[in-house]
Amino acid sequence: METGMAEDFISFRMTNKMNCFKCFHSKVEDFGATHGLSMKIIFHLTLCLDEMITNIISYGYADFDEHPIDVTLVLKDGVLIIRIEDDSEPFNILEAPEPEFDVPLEERKRAIGGMGIHLVKNMVDDINYKREDGKNVLLLTKKICEECCSRG
Amino acid sequence: MAMIESKENGITILAVDGNLDAEGTQAMEVKVLALLEGGETQLLFDFSSLDYINSSGLRVLVLAYQRLKKASGKVAICGVKDYIQEVFEVSGYDKIFSLFPSRGDAISGM
Repeated sequence: METGMAEDFISFRMTNKMNCFKCFHSKVEDFGATHGLSMKIIFHLTLCLDEMITNIISYGYADFDEHPIDVTLVLKDGVLIIRIEDDSEPFNILEAPEPEFDVPLEERKRAIGGMGIHLVKNMVDDINYKREDGKNVLLLTKKICEECCSRG
Repeated sequence: MAMIESKENGITILAVDGNLDAEGTQAMEVKVLALLEGGETQLLFDFSSLDYINSSGLRVLVLAYQRLKKASGKVAICGVKDYIQEVFEVSGYDKIFSLFPSRGDAISGM
């Protein structure tokens, strides 16, 4: 391993029956504080998790059972990786329709349809999705500038 | 999340503090609907102490905007933190809502 390479991660499992935001908010804030992430980066991270997990919980399941949702946050060499794995219905964020920006607000069929996904797409630098063994595996990658992160 | 309601120059001000998570957003929606039912037509959201909003929170603001537009009313927002301002820009809602730096600016500008 090269010297000066800082890598750290946290992993946690939540379920679709838990309060989405309250479950991960303190974990994300602690992770951000440990690595000296800026308020803005912590906000982006929280928003991405909130929007994606809310989406999974709201639309992902055909039954009423409890399902695990596994989250991993990795910070390596100034790059933040968010990994979300769930066994909900297949959902490829890359194929999700964009909000109807060209339609005036009053005439949009869905007042805010797709806006959460649109926000996520704009908060990260790279998105990778795969369906594997009956699971959605989403990787969101975000480059973090030097000033935003005191520990590389 | 905490909400403080006040009135100035005929404008109903809703100061929202803390996090607009799912629970907070639901509480804000109930409050906004009650204000609209009560006939308020000038709504100012003071977000100077707001730390978090998501797309559901934005949806409540859009709801207020749509209802009040029909009633020739107004919705404005003041004091948003820079990282929350970005959410308004990315969503395109900065073009729909009047965004003011401070409460005073909003009250004189609405």
